[in-house]
Amino acid sequence: LENNESTPSSLRDEGRVLEIAMEAGHILLQNGAEISRVEETMDRICKHYGVESGDFFVLSNGIFTTGGGRREGSYARVRHIPVTGARLDKVVAVNQLSREISQGRYEDIESAAEKLREINEMPEEKNWRQIVASGMGSGFFCVLAGGGLLDCTAAFITGILLYVYVLYVGKPHLNKIVRNIFGGMLVVLLCLGCYLTGLGHNLSHMISGAIMPLVPGVAFTNGIRDIADGDYISGAVRMLDAILVFVSIAIGVGVMFSIYNGLTGGIML
Amino acid sequence: VIGKLIIETIASAIGTIGFSVLFGIPRKLYINCALIGAVGWLMYKGALLLGTGMATAVFLAAVVIVLSSRFTAVYRQCPATVFLIAGIFPLVPGAQIYWAAYYLVTNQFDNALSSGFTALKVMIAIVLGIVFVFEIPYKVFAIARPRKKAK
Repeated sequence: LENNESTPSSLRDEGRVLEIAMEAGHILLQNGAEISRVEETMDRICKHYGVESGDFFVLSNGIFTTGGGRREGSYARVRHIPVTGARLDKVVAVNQLSREISQGRYEDIESAAEKLREINEMPEEKNWRQIVASGMGSGFFCVLAGGGLLDCTAAFITGILLYVYVLYVGKPHLNKIVRNIFGGMLVVLLCLGCYLTGLGHNLSHMISGAIMPLVPGVAFTNGIRDIADGDYISGAVRMLDAILVFVSIAIGVGVMFSIYNGLTGGIML
Repeated sequence: VIGKLIIETIASAIGTIGFSVLFGIPRKLYINCALIGAVGWLMYKGALLLGTGMATAVFLAAVVIVLSSRFTAVYRQCPATVFLIAGIFPLVPGAQIYWAAYYLVTNQFDNALSSGFTALKVMIAIVLGIVFVFEIPYKVFAIARPRKKAK
């Protein structure tokens, strides 16, 4: 695909525009944008750079692009996009870029491509920040569940340790199902530990708060929006993803309780 | 009751910021997310205090959250999903999921079923809230557009 020298310059340009549109779509899709937004953004970029023949078919984990016709050069590309974590800052940045492109602030295509590269390499929030944020989320959502000060402290600690597990063990090494089952188990284990040592009085409030960092908010919300937009395939896949995670968490919680009940030989909570 | 409500609302705001960090939402938008999380919780609790059922309260809260997400989206020129994902978090029925799992393994199937269905009802309430409010045309929200400087 690198033998650009032999193709006329107009064909090369159209290919380049579609390539950039595809790159923008890739970043959006990978980081948790809705299907309709991906399609719209790709379309907007193509139209702005004068490519009328671009056609896109976007699924939750792939983009199919073709272009070309009588007057424009042919282009076809399929890109597989694995479902990974959501980075909404990248979605915001690409959205901003696409708006600026249609305002005419990126008349040179290459500067837009450069900007996309920059966006794609935006650094992730530092691990310790994420860990503290997870603790914060857990602790304060424990308040919403009705927990007292001690319960919330326990949920805070659990949330921190949970995210240490997610970042260093779960995400790099385990698949989604196993990761969330272990996550659910870990939450119950830690909360039981706190409960039995006297930190916190209400186990259910502690656990309700502390499992929140595992909840698949992005998949769930996007699934709903895709289905509402009529993108049933992608919406269903994302909903399935969310439901799978919910069920895995519940299984993890359940398994840990059975283990504990088995060890102590009865219901005690 | 009022004092508790205030504390919970603040907790909802701060908790929402926590989850905003996990989803990589840009820092300048944290404050908007926190506000939406707080408003949503206030609506939810307010509806409960007025005597509505849990699902109705969640539905009303979801409506308020999506409305404010869309207004904020226009105002900050960002995708509404960003605010929605963070703001909807306080409504997620974490407790019900936990109870369903707990009852299931302790062989209390009736209770497990009722917790499970409550969770499902809450989820559907959230879904309906989102679906309905996204049907409102963009024009309605355009009044929140930031004023541009004269050209």
